[in-house]
Amino acid sequence: MEENNKPVLQLEDISKIYRSKMSFFGDAGKEVVALNHVSLKIFKREIFGLIGESGSGKTTAGRLIVKLEEPAAGKIFLDDNEITGLKGKALKDFRLKMQMIFQDPYQSLNPQVSIYDTVSEPLLIHKIDNVQTRKHLVLQTLKSVGLSPPEDFLYRYPHQLSGGQRQRVAIARVMVLKPKFVIADEPTSMLDASISAQIFNILLEMREKIGVTLLFISHNLAAARYLCDRIAVIYRGNLVEIGPGEEVIQKPKHPYTQALLDALPKFGHWDEAESYDTLLSMERDISQDAACPFFCRCKVANQRRCSQESPHLMGSDNSHLAACFYA
Amino acid sequence: MALLEVDNLSIGYQTPKGFLKAVEGVSFSLEKGESLGFVGESGCGKTTMGTALMRLLSRNGSVKGGQILFEGKDLLKISDEEMRLIRWKKIAMIFQAAMNALNPVHRVDDQIAEAILAHDPASSREDAKKQIEDLFQLVGVPKDRMRDYPHQYSGGMKQRAIIAMALACRPRLIIADEPTTALDVIVQHQILEETKKLQKEFEISIIYISHDISVVAEVCHNIGVLYAGRLVEYGSREEVFGSPVHPYTKALLSSYPTLTGEKEKLEPIPGEPPNLIYPPSGCRFYDRCLLAKASCKTEPPAGIQLTPTHNVLCSNIE
Repeated sequence: MEENNKPVLQLEDISKIYRSKMSFFGDAGKEVVALNHVSLKIFKREIFGLIGESGSGKTTAGRLIVKLEEPAAGKIFLDDNEITGLKGKALKDFRLKMQMIFQDPYQSLNPQVSIYDTVSEPLLIHKIDNVQTRKHLVLQTLKSVGLSPPEDFLYRYPHQLSGGQRQRVAIARVMVLKPKFVIADEPTSMLDASISAQIFNILLEMREKIGVTLLFISHNLAAARYLCDRIAVIYRGNLVEIGPGEEVIQKPKHPYTQALLDALPKFGHWDEAESYDTLLSMERDISQDAACPFFCRCKVANQRRCSQESPHLMGSDNSHLAACFYA
Repeated sequence: MALLEVDNLSIGYQTPKGFLKAVEGVSFSLEKGESLGFVGESGCGKTTMGTALMRLLSRNGSVKGGQILFEGKDLLKISDEEMRLIRWKKIAMIFQAAMNALNPVHRVDDQIAEAILAHDPASSREDAKKQIEDLFQLVGVPKDRMRDYPHQYSGGMKQRAIIAMALACRPRLIIADEPTTALDVIVQHQILEETKKLQKEFEISIIYISHDISVVAEVCHNIGVLYAGRLVEYGSREEVFGSPVHPYTKALLSSYPTLTGEKEKLEPIPGEPPNLIYPPSGCRFYDRCLLAKASCKTEPPAGIQLTPTHNVLCSNIE
């Protein structure tokens, strides 16, 4: 979108490979490519959606960016500073700017720590504010995530809260630091629709209030459409499509994105059975790895070209790209 | 006569804090070959109702009133032994988190054979195996995977095996509790399509229970919306989702992001559902309802029939 803008976060040719441990029966060292040469730029105040099915590598991408794991190859930049290999003070400063909201609010909050201590702990660690002003800041943050009156929540414990309230505490704990960049990994997949909508609106508000840039990781295209400025679709560790949110959903280019949209229930439009029909009903048998990751399930694939030549992200305009020769 | 007729069903759980009224005064009916979907937030009583239809409530749960007429017989009045014969033979269930419903230490085909042989002791093991082969073909799992253990299956295959097991005795009714929640969308789509086909072929009635209204809307003829244990709106899919009347149904729909049409701001439902140990005396949606009148707080809502098929539980409808 804001092309002339400098990116806040930049992924350059990132790969991540997991090796399975030597098993008792000896099939050791099997490699799983979680991310395969992924490059992305995310701009200031943008909400960027990373969409994929389970096992697609979307969570791995998030974990690499917050430095819970290190990439096998490639570089990650936050504001022009490379973050791979950060240590000590520099790493702590990085964590102040980069925060993460996890999927399951039933597991991400410590059950023995009160809400006040949960939300004020990051301030303590980063030595922000003194004891007097800290409480005020915590109250303000709790209020901004819709926990009101905030005084009532300060000394409660996670088990006294509902799932939606817990997730709001998790968001408050992140936002109290006024981070530059936040990763939200499936923040609503454990919550009901009515509660999810509250969380989405809080995230949108946070962008308005503190100008945070957000990476939203999800399997839910409808949620991404609501929330995101740009959407990237990831399939088996490969970025297959990237573009403005509305465009990716209304005019998808990659056969995999099209298959995903076909599969989603068309709520309220039961009669308009219009489909892209790009998914093979039986997977192709292939002897060796095909070049295009979607080759064995793709209906539009060309037997020779797609199995031998790997497609890069391409497109007629610079904003909407797809990794497919026939897009 | 309808295959299943539920009349004024009330169910509760004894808890350390008091008696929790999980479902109250729910009535609906289901014709042969039709499907009915129940939607609602977590804790609204949808799973409780499903397990009560199978008479599989946990020990602290009990049915407090009403009747469940299945093929004209009240399931609440028959003996445990009679119920055992109906269970799986006539009414089967696909449990929530079906991924964990298979026994990890038995081969998949043995588990399904067990269900078949328990209800048809006359048939031999070979017959059962033959039947399972057909079932696997039906649900789209390769035959040569029959002898595998569950851990060798992917999530989608386990789900298909569970559906095969539910179909094993050719039941009249299947209760599917969140049958596709843990699956990816493409697999979910394949399984829903498969189920629709099988339903037509064998004229099975299905009750879908889900929090995902788009899934329920895709596969069900009729929809029931549950809120805090009460059926607040009930009607055909087009009536309930096309022209919703109850404020809760409306609110639920406007909090749901869509893929088509104008992008509108989502309106979350404020507040939380009430505590069902001490349910409010009036309308249970009162605290969160934007249209509530003063009388809604004290007087229980009235049931209104809008069309022969469309019913709504609200006192505030013009």
